[in-house]
Amino acid sequence: MAARPPFSSLRRWRSLPKLLTTALLALLSATVLLVLLPASGLSSSGMSAIPVAAADPVTVRVLMPAPLADAVAAPVAQFNASSPGVVLEVIRGPLDTETISDLATGSLLLGEAPFDLLLVDVSWLARYVAAGWFEPLERWFGPEVLAAMEPGARLGNGLDGHLWRMPLTGDTGLLYWRTDLMERPPRDTEELVAISRDLQRRGRVRWGYLWQGRQYEGLSCVMVEVLHGFGARWWNGSTARTELDSPEAVAAAQWLAALLQDGVSPQAVASYAENDALQSFAAGDAAFLRNWPYAWREIEKGGGPVKGKVGVTAMVGAPGEQGGGTLGTWGLSLIKGSPHPEEAVAAIRWLTGPVVQRQLAIEQGYAPTWSTLYDDPDLQRRAPLLTVQRQALQHPQLRPPTPAYAQLSDLLARQVNGMLTGQGGPGPTMAAAQRQSLQVLRSLAGPAGDTADGRPAVDR
Amino acid sequence: MRLLVLLWSLGPLLWQLRTSLLRPEALVAPLLEGNPWTLANYQLVLSGDPPFWRYLGNSTLVALATTLLTLLLAVPCAYGLQQQRGLLRWGVGLGLVGAAMFPTVLLFLALLEIARRFGLANDLLALSLPYAGLSLPLAVLLLRAAFADLPTELEDAARLEGLGLGQRLRHVLLPLLGPALASTGILVFLASWNEYAIALTWISRNDLLTLPIAIARIGGGSVFTIPYGAFAAATVLGSLPLLLLVLVAQRPIVSGLTRGAVKG
Amino acid sequence: MKARTASLLLMAPALLLLAAVFLYPLLRYGWLSFQASSVLTGLEPVPNGGANWGRLLDDARFWTDAFQTLRFAVCSVALELVGGLGLALLLHRPLRGRGTLRALTLLPWALPTTVMALGWRWILNDPHGPLNAAIRSLGGSSYGFLSTPATTWFFVVLADVWKTLPFVALLLLAGLQTIPEDLEEALRLEGAGRLQILRRLTLPLLVPYLALALLFRLAQALGVFDLIQVLSGGGPAGSTESLALYAYLNAMRFLDFGYAATVMLATFLLLLVLLGGGWWLWRRGDLQGRREGAA
Repeated sequence: MAARPPFSSLRRWRSLPKLLTTALLALLSATVLLVLLPASGLSSSGMSAIPVAAADPVTVRVLMPAPLADAVAAPVAQFNASSPGVVLEVIRGPLDTETISDLATGSLLLGEAPFDLLLVDVSWLARYVAAGWFEPLERWFGPEVLAAMEPGARLGNGLDGHLWRMPLTGDTGLLYWRTDLMERPPRDTEELVAISRDLQRRGRVRWGYLWQGRQYEGLSCVMVEVLHGFGARWWNGSTARTELDSPEAVAAAQWLAALLQDGVSPQAVASYAENDALQSFAAGDAAFLRNWPYAWREIEKGGGPVKGKVGVTAMVGAPGEQGGGTLGTWGLSLIKGSPHPEEAVAAIRWLTGPVVQRQLAIEQGYAPTWSTLYDDPDLQRRAPLLTVQRQALQHPQLRPPTPAYAQLSDLLARQVNGMLTGQGGPGPTMAAAQRQSLQVLRSLAGPAGDTADGRPAVDR
Repeated sequence: MRLLVLLWSLGPLLWQLRTSLLRPEALVAPLLEGNPWTLANYQLVLSGDPPFWRYLGNSTLVALATTLLTLLLAVPCAYGLQQQRGLLRWGVGLGLVGAAMFPTVLLFLALLEIARRFGLANDLLALSLPYAGLSLPLAVLLLRAAFADLPTELEDAARLEGLGLGQRLRHVLLPLLGPALASTGILVFLASWNEYAIALTWISRNDLLTLPIAIARIGGGSVFTIPYGAFAAATVLGSLPLLLLVLVAQRPIVSGLTRGAVKG
Repeated sequence: MKARTASLLLMAPALLLLAAVFLYPLLRYGWLSFQASSVLTGLEPVPNGGANWGRLLDDARFWTDAFQTLRFAVCSVALELVGGLGLALLLHRPLRGRGTLRALTLLPWALPTTVMALGWRWILNDPHGPLNAAIRSLGGSSYGFLSTPATTWFFVVLADVWKTLPFVALLLLAGLQTIPEDLEEALRLEGAGRLQILRRLTLPLLVPYLALALLFRLAQALGVFDLIQVLSGGGPAGSTESLALYAYLNAMRFLDFGYAATVMLATFLLLLVLLGGGWWLWRRGDLQGRREGAA
C-alpha cells in the first residue's frame, strides 16, 4: 500500500529505461561531437587567420582589471604592430581588487596559469612571492632601471633580495581640501581638526573630514596612514611581528574615534568605502577627503558644486610627525613557468614604459613611476596632479609587506570598524587587534611565528 | 492558486527571458516602454570565446560520465548491501545517510589537494570521479530500496537454475530495476550538472568551465556592470536543457525523490 | 558465507570511492587543523600545536559567520517547510495538468544555483532592475537592495527559499501519498473540516517526512556557499558571509590551508552537534508520544 504511488506509476513507464537509454546515448554522442568539433573548428579558423608564411607567433597573455586593460588597449595594439612574432593578449579581469586576485589565485594553485603576466597590486606581492608563483626579474631589470624612478615607486617591488614586479603606476593616498573654504591646506592633524571645527561652527560646511571607515581593506589603508602619522607602526619588519598595541598606535586609533565622537566626521564614515566618501565630498558636504588620485578626475568630470574648488596635498601627520600616504601601486609580474619569458619581459618593458604611463596619467590620472615624466612640462599641463603626486611619492607608506597581510588587514579593519561603531575604546580595540594578529601569525607560521625569524621585509 | 504557484516558480525565469530578448538600451529604459525585441544577446553569447554552448557541452559531458560511473558503482554496492546483515548493513546504511546529507562544499579543500597531487585538475572526465563519489550515497540508498522491493523468490529461482551472480544481476534483476535506475540516473545527472564548489576549484581553464562556473564568472568577472542582456540569454540557454529534462522526466524525478523519502 | 564475501567485494569499489571523497577529507582536516600550512610555510604543513584552534576561539569573524549561517539556515528552512507543505498539499490534489504543474514548479530546484543567483542580482539591480523600475513607476526612488545588510539578507533567504521549496514540497508529497484515502474519507464523514483533517490526520502522519526534510535542508543550508558567493559575495561588509564562504576564502584567497581546514572541521562539528541534538530531541518527543499513545 505504502509503496503504491512510486511503484505503480512507474509500471506504466516500462518502456522508459529503453527510451532513456536511447536519449542518453543520443545526448552522449551529441556531446562528444560538440566537444570534438569546435576543437577542430577552432584550430582551422586559427590557421586561416595567420598567414602561412609567418612562423608561429608567440602569444603572451596578461591578466589585468578591466579598466586598466581598456586604458592600455591602444598601446597594446601598437606593441603588436611593432613586434612581429609576439602577440600580446590582454585578458580583462574583474574590477574589484580582491576578485581578480581570487581568479588569479585559483588558476595558480592548480599549477597551470592561463596567463604569462599578472598585474599585481602592491598588497598581494608578498603573498604571491611566498607561494612561489613569480619569476624574479633582476635578470632583465637591473638596479639602474629602478634608479630612474621616483623613490616611492621603487618600493613594494622587491622582497628577499629579488625584484618581483615592475611598477606601472605610482599612486598614493592623498588629502583633498576645499580651496574655497581655506587659504592653504592643513599641515598636521591638529590643524585639520581645528579648521574643520571652525568651518562647521560657522556653518560653512556640514562635515569636516571624510574617509573610508567601512570594514574592508580600504580601512586598513587609512590605518597605515594614521599609524604612521602618529609615529606608530603596524609591522616591524625585523621581528616580523605587529606592534598594534603601542601607545602611539592607541593614540592614532584614539584620533580616528574622536573624529566621529566630535562630529568632525559623520557616523556614516563607518560604512564608507572610497566611492561613498567621494560622492559626499563631491556634493559639497565636507572640507576634507582622504582618497586615491582617481577621485580628482571624478570631481572635475562630474561638474558638481565643488568642481574647480578642490586642492590636493600629501597626507598629514600629527604635529612634529612626517605624514605619508599609503602606497597603492600596480605592477607587472612574470608567472613562473611561463613558456616564453623573453617575449613576456619584452611586453613588461613596453607596458611599464613611459609611453603607456603617460597615457594612463592623462586618461586615468594614475601617477607615473618614471622621474622623467614628472619633469615633462606638457604632461604637467595635462595631468595637473603630477606635482602633488611626486611630492607624495617622497614619503609613501607600505602596508605590512608580509604574506600574511590579507589576514592581518582583515582583523584590524574588523576591530577598528567595531571601535568606530561604538563597540569598544581605542585601547582595548588595539590590544585585541594585537593579540589576534599574534595568534594569526602563530597559526600561520607554526613555531616560527613565535620567534623573530619570520620573513623579513626587504624593501629598501 | 495554481497561477500563483506558477508565477512564483516561473516569474523570475520569465523575466530573464524578457531581458534576454531586449536591446541593452531598452534594459535601462522605463518599464514597459517601447520593446525593440532582438536576438542580439543570444548571438553575442553564442559567438563568445569560447562560445556558450561549449559550457553546455562541458556540463553535459561531466554529468553523463558521472551518471554512468555512479550507476556502475552503485548497483553492485546496493545489491551487496542488501545481502548484508547485522552491524555492517546498519553501519554502512547510516554512513550513507550521513554522507547524503553532508554539505559537499566542506570537502573542496581536501579534494583540491588530491587534484593537485595527482594532476587531475582541468580534466572533465577526472572531475566525474569526485562527482560520482558525491552522488553515490543517494544512488546506493535509492537502489537498495529498489532491490528490497524485488521479490526474493525471483532470485532464488534463478540461483537454482544455476545462474551465477553476474548473470543473475544482468538478466534477472537489472531489467526489473529499470525505473529505479532511470530515476536515480536523472537525479545524479541533475546534481552533477549543477555542482559548483568542486568545479570551481578543479577547473581553471576557460574552455573547460562547466555551466555554473561560467555563469558565476560572468557575474564576478565583469567590469562596472554585468552585461545583463547577454547574461540573461546565457541563463535561458542554460535552463532550456533542464526544462526539457524536467518536463520529460518529471515522473521518474518525483518517484525517485519519493522513494528516497519513503525508504531512506 | 561465500555469498557474503562476494557481496562485500561488490560493495568494495563504491565504498573505496566514498571513503576517498568523504572520509579522507575529514581525517585530513583533522590532521591539517594542527598544522600551519600557509604562505609562511611555503604551503607545506608544519605542526603548530593547537594554534589554529586557539585562533578560532578568538576569531570574531568565525563566530559572526557562525551566527549568520545559523540565522540564515533557521529562517530559510522554516519558510521552506511552511511553503513546501502548502505546495505539497496543492500538488497532491487531483488537478488537470498536474504532471506539468509538478514539472514546472520543480524547475527552480533543477536549475544551477548560480544561474538564478545572478538572475536575482539583475532583478535587484540599482537602479535598472525590474524591482527598482517598478518602485520608480510608483513614484518612489531606487533602492540599493544589495547594499544594505538587512535587505541583502532578506533576498538571500528569499532566493534560497525560491530554489529549494520545490524539493521540500516533493519530499512532503511523498509523505502525503502514503496516507490512505479512506482514513481521510472516514474523518470527513465524521464531519471534520479541511483544517481539522490537516491537523488531526495529515500533519501527525507527515511528521517523519517533515523531520527528514528539516534535517536534510538544515544540513544543506548550514553549508550554504554558491548562492551567497554569487548573489552577495558575503557582503555588504561581511553581513551575509557564511561559514563555508569563510572557509573557502581562507583557503583560496588567504592561502591558509591549515586554518581553512580548522574552519571546515569546526563547521562540520557544529553541524553534527545541531543535527544530533535536534534528532535526540525529536526521538525523545517521539518516544514520549508513543508511550502516551500506548497508554
